Amino acid sequence: MPPRSSFDRRAFLRAAGGLAALGALGACGSNTGRGGGGSGDLTQYFHAYGEEGTQQAIKRYAKAFGKADVRTQWITGSNFESKLFSALLSSDAPDVFEFHPQIQLVKAEQIVPLDDIIEPVKDDFVEADLTSHTMDGKIWGVRMIDDPKFLYYRKSLLDKAGLKPPGTLDELVEASRKLTTDKVKGLFLGNNLVDVARPLIWGSGADLLTEKNEIAYHTDAFAATLGTMRTLFKSGSLLLDAPADYWDPSAFNQGLAAMQWCGMWAMPAMQKAHGDDIGIIPFPQCADAGGPSLINGGWSMFVSAKAKDVDLAKEYVKWLWIDQTEYQEDWALNYGFHIPPRKSIAAKADKLKTGLAAEGVELAGKYGRFDNPHWTQAMITAVEKVIADAVRSGMAPEAALDKCDKTVNRELTSLFG
Amino acid sequence: MSTPTSPRGAPGIRRVRGVRGPTLHFWLFTGPFLVGLVIFVYVPIVWSAWLSFFEARSTVTPSEFVGWDNYVQMLTSGGFVKSLGTFTVFAAIVVPVTWAFSLALALMVNRLRFMRAFFRSVFFLPTACSFVAASLIWKMSIFSGVRFGLMNTVLGWFGVDTIAWLADPHPPWYWLVIVTVRLWLQSGFFMILFLAALQNIPRELYEAAAIDGAKSGWQTFRYITLPQLRATSTAVVLLLLIAAYQAFDEFFNLLPKATWGQPPLVDLYYTALGENQDYGRGSAGAMILTALICAVTLLQGKIMGFGRGDEEYTAKGGK
Amino acid sequence: MSRVHLSDEGRVRARQRASGSAGLYLAVGVCALLFLVPFYLIVRNALSTDAEITGENWQFFPTDLQWGNVTELFGDETVPFGRALWNSTVVGVAHTIGTLFVCSLAGYGLARIPYRHANKVFYVVLVTLMVPTAVTFVPSFVLVSSLGWVSSFQGLIVPGLFSGFTCFLFRQYFLGFPRELEEAARVDGLSYWGSYWRVVVPNSLNFFAAIATITFISGWNAFLWPLVIGQDQEAWTVQVALSAYMTNQTVNFHLIFMATAVSLLPLLFVFLFLQRWLVQGIAQTGIKG
Repeated sequence: MPPRSSFDRRAFLRAAGGLAALGALGACGSNTGRGGGGSGDLTQYFHAYGEEGTQQAIKRYAKAFGKADVRTQWITGSNFESKLFSALLSSDAPDVFEFHPQIQLVKAEQIVPLDDIIEPVKDDFVEADLTSHTMDGKIWGVRMIDDPKFLYYRKSLLDKAGLKPPGTLDELVEASRKLTTDKVKGLFLGNNLVDVARPLIWGSGADLLTEKNEIAYHTDAFAATLGTMRTLFKSGSLLLDAPADYWDPSAFNQGLAAMQWCGMWAMPAMQKAHGDDIGIIPFPQCADAGGPSLINGGWSMFVSAKAKDVDLAKEYVKWLWIDQTEYQEDWALNYGFHIPPRKSIAAKADKLKTGLAAEGVELAGKYGRFDNPHWTQAMITAVEKVIADAVRSGMAPEAALDKCDKTVNRELTSLFG
Repeated sequence: MSTPTSPRGAPGIRRVRGVRGPTLHFWLFTGPFLVGLVIFVYVPIVWSAWLSFFEARSTVTPSEFVGWDNYVQMLTSGGFVKSLGTFTVFAAIVVPVTWAFSLALALMVNRLRFMRAFFRSVFFLPTACSFVAASLIWKMSIFSGVRFGLMNTVLGWFGVDTIAWLADPHPPWYWLVIVTVRLWLQSGFFMILFLAALQNIPRELYEAAAIDGAKSGWQTFRYITLPQLRATSTAVVLLLLIAAYQAFDEFFNLLPKATWGQPPLVDLYYTALGENQDYGRGSAGAMILTALICAVTLLQGKIMGFGRGDEEYTAKGGK
Repeated sequence: MSRVHLSDEGRVRARQRASGSAGLYLAVGVCALLFLVPFYLIVRNALSTDAEITGENWQFFPTDLQWGNVTELFGDETVPFGRALWNSTVVGVAHTIGTLFVCSLAGYGLARIPYRHANKVFYVVLVTLMVPTAVTFVPSFVLVSSLGWVSSFQGLIVPGLFSGFTCFLFRQYFLGFPRELEEAARVDGLSYWGSYWRVVVPNSLNFFAAIATITFISGWNAFLWPLVIGQDQEAWTVQVALSAYMTNQTVNFHLIFMATAVSLLPLLFVFLFLQRWLVQGIAQTGIKG
């Protein structure tokens, strides 16, 4: 602060005005939300669900909690992971957040175990969902929803082209080509195709990691599959650069593509657009050793180790995602379809018992693969780069995979030694 | 309250209140700025230099010293080096193209007799737009890969199949998208600079040339206009280069999940703030980039003359 | 005689000029149309329904102007656009006032107050000109996050105030400021501080306005730093919100383009009413990068 003696009064007032303005800014800082949180406050992070009503629903549940003022951060945009990860590092870490089970959260001590709240209802959860959330012998997250993804197709368009639903990757390439007209593209796998990386690996008979946490995806069959995908990419039958990505049904609904890779959540919206003219299949087999597969994704709740009041945060998660079965049912069924991970709720889910939804549940049971918690975000990104390099950019698959191996091995070493 | 003043010209004699007066005031005036500069510019650089020698994943107070490891990793892992290549290609296209186009606009507008202000405003208007807004328009509307994208609609009228402008890097249509965004946003700005410079060229030069028999058009442009614009041209090229170093917004928004077309800042963003939160490598990258830019700037200064630019500026600024 | 001859030649030239200028106007007109296309798209899309935008045939203009899109934009909860506008306004204004205040003082001090080591201090400023601040965003983020300023106005505003370049511009400007005015003030018994506020600043308002306009625009349009700092949705600026719209789970064209249109409004205002200072500002900042 400048010494006062040397200014004249008016100059001082003027300068003081300027400083006051700066001071006011400082004061505004606390307006941005978190600042004034007492112990009765919780912050929860959600990625932005696309289905109408989701945000309101989450806020409605939070309000009903009563024991704490729960603030919801609804993170729009495709970089939910990086937003979440940097928030977890900062002093502003969320108290509870949704994410997928990944072991680096445990290794970095960013989340706390939730065995005590899950224990009473453990038998009610689908076995695979418990397995995928168990790391180092403890359960770290509460599954909210299971989200299988399928290949949706327009029955009428396939009929018109004299095609049956493709069972192998080669048939898919063929079908995509035949379905393409000047107004409609054959297939939409997302704008950058990264989401089908895992079905491509499984379909080639490979896996992400071995039991011993070594690389299992790098096989000749997967490299060959990448070659086929390159052909598909350059065939001109893929929808690319669509305004909305694969998770949104609008490309399919607007008739931009005859087949689309999308989640079960979009099923109601698609049915609204095309009625019964929709069929679903798993992602087709890509090599002799493999078979059809589909991602059984989903979202789970975690409690941050940095939560201001870990017990309160746990209590909230228990209250909402263990006790309030009514809300869990609402969340899974009323805003797009998700499979409830609780057997008791799934048993009551009438909406999933008929028609296409029932088919979806069946396919998920038959071909669905759950999260491998040892497959971390860094590895996911590394494989996404393989798709970018080998499929979109035309790099030799082997070279792209070698590049990926380096990153994945570095990650594996740092996690498992 | 007020200090007895020392009229300029006799600074040594009338320092009634001692040396403290001016010195105190000097610090009073520059102090706030300098403190901020040290905290928000120097400290981060030093901290970052320190971090770059540590294994600093997900932490900014690391303890594991790794020596030059992060530097080696950045320089051998491919992504960062590739990003420098991308920058080179990008600058090599965007700098000359923008230079030529904005000069052409300025020359045309300068010759207009009616509606000159109108056209000047039209070309200048995109300067108001942000890179994000422009990327959005380009991605969602002009170069959208679907049939209702503007370019694909227009191509469709001529029976051309839809083109995936951004998803497919071969042929590299994405450069067309990236370069036109920048061209649209920046040309008006540089046109203003050229216009100002054009108006400062003495008319007598052209008159004299006409008497000497020079044809107006290419000859006068080549031998009068261009040489007279030299100072402005140099400034424009420098500004374009500096802007290109900092390219981030349009690449980030237009080319997600790609392994190409990533300039250095995008690469650093994903390294340091992506899923790995690798501040060690991110810092190492920032250090390498800083060193490179310093080297280039010094070189430019050597070639173009630092002091001369200074004088040009004062001549203009003090007008 | 020579008079007649000249006027003949004059007429020929005029005719040549007319044909030349037709070509000129054609070229300028085409360029201008191309430059206006993005604005046309913003307006068209912002006031259409999604069905009109995504239809099979290109629709040049919406049949009914959908003004309801404005209320829909501000009612949309997924992207808090109203909040983002407010944040951008606060950041833009504070950034401008703060930068002007801090940098002009420093520029004046460096230019006009005699001090033995002034040159050395100036070098400390000059060195920072070599490194664009954007390049050091990683370390800056590290610093700001350890101050606990992530997702706060302080974090958005304060680190950007200390622009070596703006300080440099002010210094250059004050070097050229007429000394006589100051001397008169000093004779009247004002200190440096007093004469600065009473004489120097009031006589430099044009320069301040020019720098202010440029600073405001760059503050409003900034993306990288707000993206890094705005972890919390409540702290998003307009640019970050726009970017989020682009990768949102659902794509509502009319909302996205309405948001773009609204984000442009303040700057169009600047363009309409402050163009004089803007042009001057560009001339000032442009000559030396």
